[in-house]
Amino acid sequence: MSADKILIVDDEQIIVKLLAMSLRSDGYEVVTANSGEEGLDVFKTESPDIVVTDIKMPGMDGLELLKKIKEIDSEKEVIIVTGHGDIDSTITALQYGASDFINKPVRDEALAIALERAKAKIAIREKLAEYTENLEIKIAEATEEIRRKSNFQRLLIKSSNDAIVAFDHDWKVVVYNPEAASMFGEDVKDVRNKMTIGDLYTPKIAKIFKNQAKEDQHQNTFPWKENIINTKDGRKIPVRYTSNVLHKKGEFVGTVSFFQDLTEIKRLEKELVQSERLAAVGQTISGLAHYVKNILIGLKGGSYVVDVGIQKNNTDKLKTGWGAIKKNIKRVGDLTQDLLTYSKQREPEFEECQPNEIVNEVIELVKDVAGSNGIGISKEFDNSIGQVIADPQTIHRSLLNLVNNAIDACIEDEDISKKHEIKVKTYLDKNDYFCFEIKDNGCGMDKDTQKQLFNPMFSSKGGKGTGLGLLVTGKLIEEHKGVVETETSHGIGSTFRIKLPLEKLNAVDED
Amino acid sequence: MSKKVLVVDDDPDVRSFVVTVLEENQYLPLVAQDGVEGLEMIQKEQPDLVILDVLMPRGSGIRLYRKVKTDEKFKDIPIIMFTGIALRSFLKSQKVLDEFKDSEVPKPDIYLEKPVEPEELAAAVKKKLG
Repeated sequence: MSADKILIVDDEQIIVKLLAMSLRSDGYEVVTANSGEEGLDVFKTESPDIVVTDIKMPGMDGLELLKKIKEIDSEKEVIIVTGHGDIDSTITALQYGASDFINKPVRDEALAIALERAKAKIAIREKLAEYTENLEIKIAEATEEIRRKSNFQRLLIKSSNDAIVAFDHDWKVVVYNPEAASMFGEDVKDVRNKMTIGDLYTPKIAKIFKNQAKEDQHQNTFPWKENIINTKDGRKIPVRYTSNVLHKKGEFVGTVSFFQDLTEIKRLEKELVQSERLAAVGQTISGLAHYVKNILIGLKGGSYVVDVGIQKNNTDKLKTGWGAIKKNIKRVGDLTQDLLTYSKQREPEFEECQPNEIVNEVIELVKDVAGSNGIGISKEFDNSIGQVIADPQTIHRSLLNLVNNAIDACIEDEDISKKHEIKVKTYLDKNDYFCFEIKDNGCGMDKDTQKQLFNPMFSSKGGKGTGLGLLVTGKLIEEHKGVVETETSHGIGSTFRIKLPLEKLNAVDED
Repeated sequence: MSKKVLVVDDDPDVRSFVVTVLEENQYLPLVAQDGVEGLEMIQKEQPDLVILDVLMPRGSGIRLYRKVKTDEKFKDIPIIMFTGIALRSFLKSQKVLDEFKDSEVPKPDIYLEKPVEPEELAAAVKKKLG
C-alpha cells in the first residue's frame, strides 16, 4: 500500500485550497475539510493515509481530532500544523501520538519533508507487519519440523529391535521402549519417568553405571558385551549390550544402554553345532567303514594266498599271505587304540623321561620301512634337554605318528628324482618349551589338505589312512598343554613341530 | 603261451592276492605299484589285460585309465577296474573329466569293487581273455 491519500483540515479555506493544489501537483490524492468535525467525517468516509491538520480551529480543534483519529486507527499518520511557541499544545499532540509538526505559515518544503517522513514511517510499519507475519509462519514451520523430528525419533526408539533404556542426570528412567518392556518384563507406563536406576537394576549393576558416569568423561562408548539377564518374571535372557555415558559440555547428562536379545541367535548357534556334529559323525563313520573295508581286503587276500600256499606246499606264498594277515591284524589293533584315545579324555601320566631317548626309540621302529623305500632319517639333538617331567607315551605316539606321516609323504611324492630325507630335531624354545621338529622333503600339502589336517576322518592317504592319526596326536598334545605347528609347501615338503611345556627335574628338586 | 595280465596297485597285499589268483589260473602276472610305473609297463610289455586300482600315489588309476583309453596303440587293451571306490563315484569323476577335457572315454569293461572272492576275479579275467 502506498501512502498517497491525504486529508487536509484547516478552518482557513484559502490555506486548504493552496495546500491541496500544491500537493495534488506533487501527485497526491487530496481530500479536504474546514473543521475538526468535518475532518473526522471525511476521515471516516475516505480513510486517508495521512492527515495534516491545523491545531487551532473553532469547535473540535486539531488535538481533539488527532485523539479521535488515533482512537479509530492508531496507525494513521497525523501531522500537526502549529503556531510559533505553542509548546504546550505540541507536547499534548505528542502524547496523543502525532507523527510530526510543521510551523505556520506552512511552507511547501517543510510539508514535503514531513510527508516523506510520514510515508517512510508507514512503509516501515508495513514492512514490520509483513515481517511479523512471516515470523509467525516461520515459527509455525519450525515448530512443525521439530515436532516431526521428535516424533520420528520417538518412533525410532519405539520401533527399535534393540531394547533402549536411558537415564537422565538424576538417574530417572527417561527412555524405556516397548522392546525393553518385553525384554525386562516391566510395563512402559510403570517405568518411564517413574522409576530410577535402583528400581530397574540390581544395586550392583546400578553402582557400575554410576561409577562409569563418574569416571568416563572422555571415553563415552563401551564395547559390546554379552551377559545373561534375569527378568522380573523370572526368565533368563542372553543379551548383547552396550552403554553410552552422555556428556554435554563436560557435564554428565545421562546414560543410554542398548540391549539385543540373543535368544534366537543362541538357539540357531546350538542347532548349527548340532548339525555340524551330526555331519562329523556321518563323515567319521563313512571314513571308518572305508578303512575297515581295506583291512578286510588285506585279510581276505592274505588268507587266500595262505590257502594256495598250503595247497601247493609253497612256503613263499605262505610267508607272503601270512605277512599280509599279520599286517592287517596290526592295523585293527592300531585303529582300536586310536579310536579309544580319541573317544576318551585321558590325563597325561607324568614321569621322568628323556625326550631324546624317545626319538631314538621311534626312529628304531621306522628305520626299516624308511630304508626299504629309500628314505634317509637323520637326527639332531639338543643335549641340554636331558631329563624332563612329561608323559613319555604321549611323546612316543605323537612322534611315531608324525614320523610315519613323513615317510608316507616321501613315498607319495611324485618326484622320484629327489633324495628323500626326514630330519628329526629336538630343541629348547626360550627355556619354556622342549620341542620336536619332524621335517620331510616329501610331497607336501596343498591348501585344502592343510585346512582339513586336524579334522576327524579326513585322510589324504586314500583308503590307507584312518583319518585319526593327526587328530589323536593333536588331542594328546593338547592334553599335555602343548601345541602342534605345521609348515608345508606343496611338492617341497612339510615340517611338523611339537612344543611341550618344559618342567625340568631340577625344578622339582628345588622345592 | 600264457596271456600277460598287468596288476597296478599300491597295496602289496592286494598285489600278492591278485598275482596268486592269476597264477592259479595260468596267466602270467606282471606288477606295477603306481600309475607312472603302470604306464611304463604297458608301453614295455603290451599286456593282454590290465587290472587297475583307482586310488594310488603318483598318477592315480583315473589318470592312467584315461591315458590308455585315449592312446591309439593301447586303447583296445581291456581294463578291469579293481578298487574300493564305488562305481558311482568313479563314473562321476570320469564324467567330470570328460566335460573338462572335452573328450569322451568309454566306460571300463569290468568294474569290481573290493573285496572280491578269488573266483569272481578269475571269472572276470576269463570273460575278457578266455
